[in-house]
Amino acid sequence: MRRRRLTVLAVLLSAVMTLLVDFPARAQDQPVRGGTIVVAIVADPGHLNPAITTSGATHAASELIYNGLLGRDERGDPVPELAESWQVEQGGAVYRFRLRDGVKWHDGKPFTAADVKFTFEEVLLKFHARTRASMGSLLAGLEAPDDRTVIFRFKQPYAPLLYQLDATEAPIIARHLYQGSDPQTNPANGNPVGTGPFKFVSYTKGTEIRLARNPAYFKPGLPYPDALVMRIIPDLSVQVLALENGEADFLWELPGPLLSRIKSDTRFQTARTGYHPGGSNCIMTMSFNLERPILKEVRVRQAIAHALDRQAFLSQILFGEGKVATAPISSEIPWAHATGLALPRSDRTEAERLLEGVGWKKEGEGPRTARGVPGVPDGTRLSIDFLHFPAFAKYGELVRQQLGTVGISVVLRPLEPAVFAPTVFKDRNFDSNVISYCNGPDPEIGVRRMYHSSQIGPAPFTNAAAYRNPRVDALFDDASRTVEREKRSRLYRQIQEIVVQDVPYYWLVETVNTRAWTARCSGFRAWTGLFAEGAFCRR
Amino acid sequence: MAGLLVLNFCIIHLAPGDPAIALGGEHGDAAYYAFLRSRFGLDRPLPEQLLTYVSNVLHGDLGTSFVHGRSVTRVIAERVPATLLLVGTALVLSSVAGVALGILAAGFRRRSVGVTLNVAALLGYATPSFWLGQIALLALAVGTGLFPVQGMTDARHPQTGLAHLADVLHHLVLPAVVLAINELALTMRLVRTGLLEALGADYVRAARAKGLPEALVVRHALRNVMLPVLTVIGSRAGMFLSGAVLVEVVFAWPGLGRLLLSSLLSRDYPVLLGMFLIMSVGVVLANLITDLTYARLDPRIRYQ
Repeated sequence: MRRRRLTVLAVLLSAVMTLLVDFPARAQDQPVRGGTIVVAIVADPGHLNPAITTSGATHAASELIYNGLLGRDERGDPVPELAESWQVEQGGAVYRFRLRDGVKWHDGKPFTAADVKFTFEEVLLKFHARTRASMGSLLAGLEAPDDRTVIFRFKQPYAPLLYQLDATEAPIIARHLYQGSDPQTNPANGNPVGTGPFKFVSYTKGTEIRLARNPAYFKPGLPYPDALVMRIIPDLSVQVLALENGEADFLWELPGPLLSRIKSDTRFQTARTGYHPGGSNCIMTMSFNLERPILKEVRVRQAIAHALDRQAFLSQILFGEGKVATAPISSEIPWAHATGLALPRSDRTEAERLLEGVGWKKEGEGPRTARGVPGVPDGTRLSIDFLHFPAFAKYGELVRQQLGTVGISVVLRPLEPAVFAPTVFKDRNFDSNVISYCNGPDPEIGVRRMYHSSQIGPAPFTNAAAYRNPRVDALFDDASRTVEREKRSRLYRQIQEIVVQDVPYYWLVETVNTRAWTARCSGFRAWTGLFAEGAFCRR
Repeated sequence: MAGLLVLNFCIIHLAPGDPAIALGGEHGDAAYYAFLRSRFGLDRPLPEQLLTYVSNVLHGDLGTSFVHGRSVTRVIAERVPATLLLVGTALVLSSVAGVALGILAAGFRRRSVGVTLNVAALLGYATPSFWLGQIALLALAVGTGLFPVQGMTDARHPQTGLAHLADVLHHLVLPAVVLAINELALTMRLVRTGLLEALGADYVRAARAKGLPEALVVRHALRNVMLPVLTVIGSRAGMFLSGAVLVEVVFAWPGLGRLLLSSLLSRDYPVLLGMFLIMSVGVVLANLITDLTYARLDPRIRYQ
């Protein structure tokens, strides 16, 4: 009897202890209604129509006002949003979407399939650079047979569609406001009406965008705060000070040198993500101009790759936030990212052996000299230029320092983005450069442009290396027409195996963004543009 | 005026960079960038673009912003009040405090107060405003909570009426002081040097011999000192605007300086041209006001 009492007592005690231990965590997770969330953004968006631009500033500030047909989960996979279900037909040439019933625009008008058809045909396919470039030439037509059905018909099977329908890639705007007008100058761009979790209240230029809870949002109970303010703070270090001073609740991005300070402070929480509305899943990539005689020889490119210590890039530039690239496709797209590839490892001896083998001989101090290098006059010194944005100056410094140790002289040429792009892609006046190539949600959007021979030309941030390989072209074409993920995965693996051998680029580091928010807030979803849809803050 | 327009246009178009790429981002195809250039008239010959621009400006139209999609006049007008408030406050602060401290430094030139002021002026003149801004934020905003870190108003608790005014003034203190420091130090050193020189002049010796009280003597001398000081203050109005770019970025102050920087990065030519025009007019106006103030200070100067 006594034993039984003790057992009951022990059970009761452990139950009480469990409750005591669990209570704070549960209280924290319990959503709290009301209040205002202040989000720091880095740039004035200019306008609030994300359908007419791929500008990160506009998308960061406005996506919470809109929705896409689909959303994305933490792994980047499509989930229902304005469309509640979908069917893929004719091997991926036809996509049929069933829209949610009862969705209203913020002005009370009903959302219908006609809005989707209008948005794609009149706005996204004309003004949204990524949507236009990826599916513009392949889309045969869009149909809206009734208010709740949308059908996309492609000229051939088109695999990546489901990954390009979120609010970042394809936000849906109201036909009744934009029809018959120029979408770029429509007054609704400054006074937006969407279907999203937050309604527009005001936009004070250069200062802030104020949003209010959409009480008629189609996801019951969401969002939680009464108001959300996008405060424009251009300096990232000042954003951190604002977070520390309680003037901001959420930051899109933490600057590298301040990462450890915020991460070690219990007043804040952080999350890493490859997603960014201006471009997701980015790899800092060194491009080689294959039209230059010095860099035509694959062994020289391999030597450069061997001479680089990418771990140093990760630790000294990114302060450990990111990872050394292990494949040409980002690991943030796990199904397409190839594992176990033999990328050139950091090995100075191997780099020097390769250069000697080509005919670049070490003759005293300074850069190596050509002695029998094919296509290069004897006596030429081994010197290449390296173009970079001013913001990427540290990459240039490390490349110069590390290549200098194997006898390659590097001349740094910092250029602003607006000058960099025509210099590299139009004039092709460079030997090497570093570009943050963002892979996007699907390799068809952000990877194909780097390797397909059709992408050599003046369009910026395409095939900088001028890489031509018919086999790679054919594999990319196959992958774009293949809907089954396993088959696509195999095709992308083959592509990666080939380009790792050819080294038209060298993939340095995968960069990530670190979001930070005050610990009294929860529910932020760092991986999507609707990041505050389920967020709440305790007072 | 026409010369100014042409000069501004040439300077902007001589700078390298393609607005279509800055606007279109990195994922467009060639046709998309061609479409953007055609849409903004950037595919037309430069002389034709120049003629269109000059003709539009002469008709009172500064064009439409590439980025904002709205009239340049409106885009700029929205930012003018914030910059006027910041620069105006800093100008008044640096002038009034600069003159006062300059008098103090001259009066106590051999005492510790004078020496301290002199050293502080040297430091103030040599310190870059963006660095001073960061230090001010760490020491006076985050450290003590006395002042807000950023912006012109409180984002969480928007106010109206007098409370709004108080909120704006509270946010104004740090950026205005930081922007003023450099000019304050310069004004103070000019006043100090000028006053020391004037106080040794014959007319001051004569005034003292007549038995004028020292305060009145200083007032006489100061009047002569103020002419070169005014010239410097007036001629440095442009410096204030350029200083405002950095201070506005550090304190997230929503003024013209930040607009100038963002427009430069995005190659928003119409906004840049509009701002160059307004700034040129602003500098000319500042010089005009300086000249008119001369006449008030010196009865020998008369404008016919």
